[in-house]
Amino acid sequence: MAELPKSSGARPAESKNAIQHYFENHKKVAKSTSLQLLSQPLTTAFTCFVIGIALVLPALLSVLLANIESINEHWDGSPQITLLLKKGVPSLDAGVLAESISQKQSITSSQFIDNEQALSDFKSRFEFTDAIEFLDENPLPHAIIVRLNSTLSAISDIEQLRDSLLTIPEIDSAILDAAWVQRLQSITLLVERAVWVIAVMLSLTVVLVLGNTIRLAIENRKEEIIVVKLVGGTDPFVRRPFLYMGILLGLGSSIIAWCLIHWVIYLLNGPIEALALSYQFDFSLSGLTFLSTLFLLIFGISLGWLSAWFAVRRHLDEIEPS
Amino acid sequence: MIKFEQVKKRYPDGFEALHDVSFHLSRGEMAFLTGHSGAGKSTLLKLIMLMERASEGTVSVGGQNLSNIPRRKIPYFRRHVGVVFQNHRLLFDRSVFDNVALPLEISGMSQRDIGRRVRAALDKVGLLSKEKLNPVQLSGGEQQRVGIARAVVNKPPLLLADEPTGNLDPALSADIMKLFMQFNQVGVSVLIASHDLALIHPLHYRVIELSKGCIISRGKDSAEINKHTGEQNG
Repeated sequence: MAELPKSSGARPAESKNAIQHYFENHKKVAKSTSLQLLSQPLTTAFTCFVIGIALVLPALLSVLLANIESINEHWDGSPQITLLLKKGVPSLDAGVLAESISQKQSITSSQFIDNEQALSDFKSRFEFTDAIEFLDENPLPHAIIVRLNSTLSAISDIEQLRDSLLTIPEIDSAILDAAWVQRLQSITLLVERAVWVIAVMLSLTVVLVLGNTIRLAIENRKEEIIVVKLVGGTDPFVRRPFLYMGILLGLGSSIIAWCLIHWVIYLLNGPIEALALSYQFDFSLSGLTFLSTLFLLIFGISLGWLSAWFAVRRHLDEIEPS
Repeated sequence: MIKFEQVKKRYPDGFEALHDVSFHLSRGEMAFLTGHSGAGKSTLLKLIMLMERASEGTVSVGGQNLSNIPRRKIPYFRRHVGVVFQNHRLLFDRSVFDNVALPLEISGMSQRDIGRRVRAALDKVGLLSKEKLNPVQLSGGEQQRVGIARAVVNKPPLLLADEPTGNLDPALSADIMKLFMQFNQVGVSVLIASHDLALIHPLHYRVIELSKGCIISRGKDSAEINKHTGEQNG
C-alpha cells in the first residue's frame, strides 16, 4: 500500500507534463468561462455596458485633455513680452537695445517699434485720428516686442524673464502677453485634476460593480468551490475561472468604452470644427491613439482581474482550518 | 494510517466537540465510527481531512503530523484522502464522467489517463454505462456510487465516509457497504462514520463509538492494535 507522500512537488520527469497541463488548464478555463459568459448574453452585455460607461468618462476627458495640449503645442504665436521704453530714449539707442536683447537666452527675436511708426500704425487702424491731431506730441513710447522661445512655457519662467528685462534702465514697463498662456494652463490643470478625480472614483465604481457581479457568480458556484477544495484543488485552481471572468468582463467593457468614446468624438466633432472655423482655426478632435487604446484595454482588464481577485479571496477560506 | 493522540477540539464559540480522543487505525484496516448525532463524528473526520485543526493533541495521517502541514500544502494532502459525503456533493452542471474526473483534473493528469482512470472507477461502482448522464438523472444510490467513484479515482490510500448511507434504503445501503469492503480488500484504509448500527454490526468490522466528544468504545482489541502498530510505524 502506498505511503502518503510527504512532499507535493512534482518529480523532475513530471515537471514538463505539469507545465503542459498548467497551460492546458488555462486554455480550458478560458474557453469554458467565455462560453459561460456567452450563454448569458444579456447579463454579460449589461454588465459590460455599465462598466464601459464608467470607463468612458475618464477616458473621454483624457482625450479632450490630449487635444487641449495639442492646441497648446501647435499655437502659432509663441509667448511674447512688449517692452515700453522710457520717454526721451533716442530711437537709435532703442534700436541698439533691441539688438542686444535679442542676443539673450530664451529669446528668439526682438522687434523695435519706433514711436512715430506706432502712431501712424495706430492712425491707420482706428478712426479717432482727429483726436490725436490735437495732441502736441506723440504720446506713444518706443516699444520692443520680444518673442520668447516656445520651450519657455511655464508662466513663472516667463515672469522671471520679464523681471530681469525690467532691470534695464531704459525700460519703463513690460506687458506680458501671457494671459492666454496662463488661462490655457489653468484649464489644462483643472481638466487634468478632474480626470484624475473622476478616474479614481469611477475605477472604484468599476471594481465594486465587477466585484459584485463576480460575487454573484461565486454564490452560484459555491458548491463547486467547496467540492474542488475538498478533492485537493489549490487556491489558484479555485480562483482561475473567476479571474478569467473578471479579465473577460474587463476586456468587453474596454471595447465598449472604446466604441462609445469614438461615437462621442464623432458627435462632437461637427460642432467643434464649425466653432474652430469661426475663429479661422483648423481643428478637429482626434480619437484614441494606439497607445491610449492599449492603455484602455490593459486598464479594463486589470480592473477586472483585481475585482475578481478580491471577490474570490474571502471564499478561499471557506473550508480551511481556522 | 490514522493516529489520534489526546486530541481536543474546541470551536471558537467555546463548544468542545472532542475531549481527549486517542485511537489508531492501522494501514489497510476498515473501521466504523458511531455515536448519536452531535457526538463528534463529523468533527473527527474534519480533523483527518484538515478542514479543522486540533486544539490540543496530535493527529497524524500516514505518519505525517497534520499540525505540520501549512495551509498552502493542504490541497496536496487532501489529494491522498478520498472522502464520501452523506449528500454526495456531486456537481449537477456536468456529467457523471466529469464529476469523477474532477480530482484528476486538479492533480494535473493527461486527458488520456483521466479517461482510463475514470472509466475504471465507474466500472468498479457499476456505473460505466452512465458516464454521459447528468447526476440528476440517477437514483440516490447511484449518485452515492458516483460520489464513491470520485473519492477513489485518485487511488487514495485512505478513504473516509461521512454517513454514506444516510439517505438510502437498507438494500442500497448494504450495496454501498459492500463497495467499501471491496476497496478495503485491495488495501485501502477505510473509516466510515455511521449511526446505522443495524447495518454495521453484522459486518464484523471494528466499531469506534463516540459519545459527547469522548471515545466510549474502541472496538476489538484496540489496545493491542495500538501497541503493535505503534511499534511498527513509530
